[in-house]
Amino acid sequence: MCLGIPAKVISVEENKQGKIDYLGTRVKTNFALLEDVKPGDWVIVHAGFAISKLNEQEAKETLELIREYTEFSENLREER
Amino acid sequence: MRELRNKNVIRGLLSDIEKRAVSLPHPLKIMEVCGTHTMVIHRYGLKKMLGRAGINMLSGPGCPVCITPNEIHEAAIDLITENENFILTTFGDMTRVPTSRGSIQTTVPKKGSQVKIVYSPFESLSIAQKNPKKDVVFFGVGFETTIPSIAVTVKYAVRNNLKNFSLLSALWLIPPPLKTIVESKDNQIQGFLYPGHVSAIIGENPFQFIPEQHSIPGAITGFEPGDILISLSSIQNQIINSDPVVDNTYTRVVRPGGNPAAVAIMEEMFQKKDSQWRGLGLIPGSGLKLKPEYKDFDSEYKYKINIQAHSHDLPGCRCGDVLQGKIPPADCPLFAKRCTPESPKGPCMVSYEGACLASFKYRDRI
Repeated sequence: MCLGIPAKVISVEENKQGKIDYLGTRVKTNFALLEDVKPGDWVIVHAGFAISKLNEQEAKETLELIREYTEFSENLREER
Repeated sequence: MRELRNKNVIRGLLSDIEKRAVSLPHPLKIMEVCGTHTMVIHRYGLKKMLGRAGINMLSGPGCPVCITPNEIHEAAIDLITENENFILTTFGDMTRVPTSRGSIQTTVPKKGSQVKIVYSPFESLSIAQKNPKKDVVFFGVGFETTIPSIAVTVKYAVRNNLKNFSLLSALWLIPPPLKTIVESKDNQIQGFLYPGHVSAIIGENPFQFIPEQHSIPGAITGFEPGDILISLSSIQNQIINSDPVVDNTYTRVVRPGGNPAAVAIMEEMFQKKDSQWRGLGLIPGSGLKLKPEYKDFDSEYKYKINIQAHSHDLPGCRCGDVLQGKIPPADCPLFAKRCTPESPKGPCMVSYEGACLASFKYRDRI
């Protein structure tokens, strides 16, 4: 029930209705819960509503952490 | 974010968890609160791998379809079987929950009445606009992730004076049942994976009482397998350092204060009420109903429905115990025997996020 899908914003009309692109499909979405959203932003969509904006910087940091971590584990394995 | 599913990344994180587990109580009992996490943990075979690494994952009350008492489902069934020209709209899972009166899907609606499955609450409004001579009831179920969307929908109906639309609410708040679980005398939970999308709305603060008053660690968690493992590592570290907090490892989506606009609309439209949860019983302030000024849009008021909800299951079904993490699904005598996804005997086998369905579907990975 709390499944949220990351998707890219395609359009936002004045009435806060708009469209997102999810894996190439345009889906009608309501943006009433987000104060500042524009085409090109990435959002989490749940039950036809965008509930949160994806923070690109934070996403990069998580990936960075994972990358550092994997390299670290691989180095450990090589050392053994 | 594919790297969060990468086999080497998962393997690395798991071996790290395994190493740390040696110096920790064994097995460590961690509750994943959210049904979507339950699905991820089973789908990627993490349940078994974590079990070997010394972590016992227990499912929590995070499936709204599962915790909604039968009496509310039965009230929805009554509406379309006793009234003509009614349209009941709801999410797909809700139509299959078995009750003493069958399920919404198996009952025969009265003349001119029907059930329509919707993906978004907002669809119910266009159904109401297109059918001005029929009463449209949206049977809305959900946690904080879904409630703001339902609030926007009702607000729109109020503003446009859509008199043939109303809401039958089964709306639940996540922090109150967690309070019930940590305060219960036989609580064995040593850490929580907090629900990522509920937290996207309410932020970190509503969970702070768990580390502060009960010294239980936890982490707000995303929905990739790597997210789950990063949070479990965080929980282990919190135990090792005796420093329980609400860690947020899903920062790409969850801001510390959540989504204030979403919280504001929830508070504008709804007020708290004491609610019965399946398995957990009556929990103060754990449910929501529309504020009195919107009562004309509240199906319970509009159709004079008096729901006497109970927290019990149908005979033999132990969904209630599963929801509290007291037993794994396989310990229910009905599981995989009389109760299967094709013929569910309880809601935990109905919902795509139910612990029983997840266990059944991925039983070769447990």
